[in-house]
Amino acid sequence: MDNQKLDSEPCPSGRRTAGLYVHIPFCEAKCRYCGFYSEPIKNHAPERLVSAIIAELSEKRGQAPFPPNQTIYIGGGSPSCLPAEQLLRLIHEITSWHGLQARENTAKMAVLPPKPEEFTIEVNPGQVSKGILSRLRTAGVTRLSIGAQSFNPDELTFLGRRHSVADISRAVEVARQAGFENIGLDLIFAIPHSTLESWKYSLRSAIDLGVQHISAYALTYEEGTPLQKAVEAGEVEPVDEEIDRQMYETTIDELEKVGFKQYEISNFARPGFECKHNLNYWANKPYIGIGPAAGSYWQGKRTLNIADIKKYIEAVEQGTTVTDESEIPDNTQIACETAVLNLRRRCGIILDEFKNQTGFDAMKLFAEPIGRYRELGLIEATDGRLFLTRDALPIADSVLCDFSTT
Amino acid sequence: MSTELIRNFSIIAHIDHGKSTLADRIMEITGAVSDREKKDQLLDDMDIERERGITIKASAVTMNYEHGGKTYMLNLIDTPGHVDFHYEVSRALTACEGALLVVDATQGVQAQTVANAYLATESGAELIGVINKIDLPSAQPEITAEEIEHVLGIRKQDCFRISAKTGVGVRELLDAVVTLLPPPPDDGDKPTAALVFDCICDDYRGVICYVRVFAGSLSVKQKIRFMGVGRTHLITELGKFTPKMSPVDRLSAGEVGYVIANVRQLSDVTIGDTITDDSKPAEKPLPGYVPPMQMVFSDFYPGNNTDYPNLRLAFEKLALNDASFSFIPQNSPALGFGFRCGFLGLLHMEIVQERLERENDIDVVQTAPTVSYEVITTDGRTLKIDSPADLPDVTQIEELREPFVRLEVITGTDSIGGIMKLAESRRCKLLKTDYLSQNRVILEYKAPLAEIVYDFYDLLKGVSHGYATMDYEFTGFEVGDLVKINILVNKIQVDALSLIVHRSVAENRGRKMLVRLRKAIPRHQFEIPLQVAIGGKIIARESIKPFRKDVTAKLYGGDVTRKMKVLKRQREGKKRMKNIGSVQIPQEAFMSILDSSD
Repeated sequence: MDNQKLDSEPCPSGRRTAGLYVHIPFCEAKCRYCGFYSEPIKNHAPERLVSAIIAELSEKRGQAPFPPNQTIYIGGGSPSCLPAEQLLRLIHEITSWHGLQARENTAKMAVLPPKPEEFTIEVNPGQVSKGILSRLRTAGVTRLSIGAQSFNPDELTFLGRRHSVADISRAVEVARQAGFENIGLDLIFAIPHSTLESWKYSLRSAIDLGVQHISAYALTYEEGTPLQKAVEAGEVEPVDEEIDRQMYETTIDELEKVGFKQYEISNFARPGFECKHNLNYWANKPYIGIGPAAGSYWQGKRTLNIADIKKYIEAVEQGTTVTDESEIPDNTQIACETAVLNLRRRCGIILDEFKNQTGFDAMKLFAEPIGRYRELGLIEATDGRLFLTRDALPIADSVLCDFSTT
Repeated sequence: MSTELIRNFSIIAHIDHGKSTLADRIMEITGAVSDREKKDQLLDDMDIERERGITIKASAVTMNYEHGGKTYMLNLIDTPGHVDFHYEVSRALTACEGALLVVDATQGVQAQTVANAYLATESGAELIGVINKIDLPSAQPEITAEEIEHVLGIRKQDCFRISAKTGVGVRELLDAVVTLLPPPPDDGDKPTAALVFDCICDDYRGVICYVRVFAGSLSVKQKIRFMGVGRTHLITELGKFTPKMSPVDRLSAGEVGYVIANVRQLSDVTIGDTITDDSKPAEKPLPGYVPPMQMVFSDFYPGNNTDYPNLRLAFEKLALNDASFSFIPQNSPALGFGFRCGFLGLLHMEIVQERLERENDIDVVQTAPTVSYEVITTDGRTLKIDSPADLPDVTQIEELREPFVRLEVITGTDSIGGIMKLAESRRCKLLKTDYLSQNRVILEYKAPLAEIVYDFYDLLKGVSHGYATMDYEFTGFEVGDLVKINILVNKIQVDALSLIVHRSVAENRGRKMLVRLRKAIPRHQFEIPLQVAIGGKIIARESIKPFRKDVTAKLYGGDVTRKMKVLKRQREGKKRMKNIGSVQIPQEAFMSILDSSD
């Protein structure tokens, strides 16, 4: 099998590309439910981290072949809590090629990478102004993902969010004024004490803001979070499973009614506004991640960077590796990972693409679970695709586990 | 050679009363093990034995002991001390002329003390009473001596007081072995007759037979015949255990040791068989043994059908060294292909289970242990059935009989009430009450084996705060008003969940089974109806609701490795289950049906 093929995707210009992900692990304060790695920004000097991230990027770019980045995504933490100058400095580094390589190896002349098709940045309501958003737009950012979570003030308080409901619509408004045409909102449902009605209200409010993309996540109780501890202590009771289910079903129904298409288990978009960077993940295509705790899938290796700001910076400054964990999946594992990721998409596994990408015939490799789940009406195979049915979506993990190994 | 200087003896006792420690001490005193070589409780060879602190196979040691200016040969045979292994104990005893009956001075006479003493007496062995652990502050040697005299008829002034741990009194005990126990009969001139009282299978040397020579002698290169089996072999190696295997040229009458004679597999030897000289054979074989009766049965199925051949190999390996364990292929419409296994009792079953898990990498699902039943059919045949699934249709049954045992429980008087209530709830009938002393009593019951084979022992311990002990002995099959409970999972009858119970408790038990199953079977992607039927009539229903939400909300780049691990674990969880139609039933569910507590 051609390993080169696995490294990156050919882009329209014929060059191979890979997504670029940047992780900014700073927040004003940690939300109650968050299981991601982040630290309060007031405890650190942001320029130092940004310098380190830029250094990591340069180092990686120095290792040929560094692919052009068709999609770029800056996530976190809260990228929007960075001082504007630092954020713009980072973006500038990303979108231009300043590496020594350009000066030293004129033979291996680095070409300015083609402009990315999509450049997303995650922002928090209350942390953005028209001014900063305009500058981001000018710098090349094409898409915003706003962490709204809920339009019910009680729920925002429960979640530990630091913004108000009004901040959300304000953020969307200034984003539009700054020239953004591709805006997404993140929402959370099945919050304790919420009801089907309160959820419908949040959904409705999001739709009414005229955004192009909505991610709707069921609240997850992550190990070690204050929320999970409260559950264990009996102080908080998770929403009843049946209501959780209803909320999810309602989400799909309501959004489809107004023209959003569900393209992944938790993601909905107006046609043409799907998040290309994330689609890359669910196609199990390569991407490069930089920053503390960032993950990469590049040159056949899955890696995770050191999930500690101080240690990460030290590693970069001392020239030691920033990789904390690393794994090289074999061909069968790649096939399983691809299947699991593909199946999270509504379009599912596209059999021809799967064969080209992994070398396996998905219908044969997973014949046993496919047979079983077809009988149960949880999987369908038509039009050259294998996909989960609507009934399977709410219980997808119980099906996907049978595709996790052979 | 005269047998005057030989003494063959066993140490018998209740569990943990110090039999193995005493064996260690004796071996130390006689020099059989030097301090350097000493491993505590040397004779317990197998890992499991050492771990669980119990002895499974009989083992033998030959030692020299100086007394009165002469050198005596002492042959010590170690025995198991659990109710499941009566058979092994009596084999060892038949190879001896005497036995040291050891009783813990802090515990007093217990159920197996009594049971083993009876076995010793039956086999004709001379008993010496030994009161152990006198070094402990809570020791009550006088009261213990009283109990021994009362229950076993050994005079209290004749009992030896020792501490196997510190060594106090052990030398005097060894002197007593020489002076009080009889030497073996001097039959060296008679035609050779040696009893095979045990055997093991060694990877390199093949079958090793443990023998006690009763008459004549055995020599290397001698052509011998196994009288029961009818096969002849050539002795290639002969020896004693000192405790390591030490080859000799000759084993004479009265001596104990081992024989290696190119016997390939255990099934070529019958324990209890007589070895004789092929050219000058004995007239009659030595009195043999009753083959061990398997009392408990359980079906084992591979979690994955493709593992069936591996499971068979695993069982063959286990059976190599355990002649009382058996397995036969079994086919269940619901569970597929597996094996029906027979055991001497629950402890035996647990040991085999542990060995199976430890020595192999196969996922196994096991059905609840059952006892066998006797059926008299309407056309006059007598069938022995080892599983409720094999029970013929009720219209063909003339009579259904279940196994009964004589159950002995020894306990403190303050627990009598709780124990009587427990026994009554299990259809046990009180036959006799006998006071060991002011505070301790033996209760003798007639009990249906099915009622006590599973959790009775644990409940007994619970109700007596850990102090009660029990022993039982099979007495025969008797008619009972029994019915078969059938369970249907997702409309399919699952034989492995069937149970035979007394009619008076059938409905109640059936409902309990459903409740247990409902808790033990995990939720599925669809609703699962559970039904219990007696005699073709559904008498109760339960239902397992499907789960409604099981999906990861966020799965992005860096989450993949972690999430794949979680999904794989979710899948692994399904493996220790058996598929019945599309329902996955875990191991615990099969066992849960036996739990009749509230």
